[in-house]
Amino acid sequence: MQLKDTRREIKTIDLLPLINVVFLLILFVLIAGRPSTNHPSGLEVARSEIEATHQGAALSVWLKQDDVFYLSDKQPVTLGELAHLVKEKGLAAQGMPLELIADRRAHAKQLLAFRRAMARAGVGEIRLKTEIIAAASN
Amino acid sequence: MQLARRQRRAGFMGLTPLIDMIFLLLLFFLLGSDFVTYGQSRLAPPRGTGGESSAAPPVVITLAATGALSWNGAPADEALLARETARLVAQNAEQMLVLMPADEADIQQVTSVMDVLQGAGAQSITLERDVFDIDLADF
Repeated sequence: MQLKDTRREIKTIDLLPLINVVFLLILFVLIAGRPSTNHPSGLEVARSEIEATHQGAALSVWLKQDDVFYLSDKQPVTLGELAHLVKEKGLAAQGMPLELIADRRAHAKQLLAFRRAMARAGVGEIRLKTEIIAAASN
Repeated sequence: MQLARRQRRAGFMGLTPLIDMIFLLLLFFLLGSDFVTYGQSRLAPPRGTGGESSAAPPVVITLAATGALSWNGAPADEALLARETARLVAQNAEQMLVLMPADEADIQQVTSVMDVLQGAGAQSITLERDVFDIDLADF
């Protein structure tokens, strides 16, 4: 006896729902995300509950967990060099603020040294970059 | 002579390149975007280096590496800091607060104390290493 072949015929998979969903994902990422930040992914800035708008600065300096200052990912810089750079760029004369992107695990000693060195170089305001977290409800 | 008319077959548009491109776009935006919201804490210039002058003497707040706080030398906690700061700021909006963190305190601890002060309305917060760095003319 010959049995009937019950194998289903392969039909074309409709790809339009897949494309729709992926487009929606792209839209979500575009709306909810922001362009990548100006600091390396290993650097974790301090968390803050104060919602102050993040504004760009003329110069951003990184302070990594190893308590060393950097101007770019692999370029360590001393405070003397930074002060020289600030004078060279005329940032102090123009009254432009500096941004310090410091790792939350770095020590206050370096923050104080930076504060003092930049004040000597004539920089008035320093902005410490923070990550805004929702305030704990009481 | 009658030529046979070739009939074109309806072309099937391949969707694979389109899907590839969409996935690449998705990957690009996922990797290139950041979902964290960033802010800034402002540090006023240190005293005696061109900072704004304040009629009221500055308040000195110390932060130990252990997280212990003091307000003008007296032991304090965050609630007291917030209460006293709010009281002083109500009298003088320009009230200068000098935060003196221990060398070994980490930046998160410093930011948390600044949060408390800013939350209580302080607008002028500066950092100093020790009392000898504070300009005596302020007192």
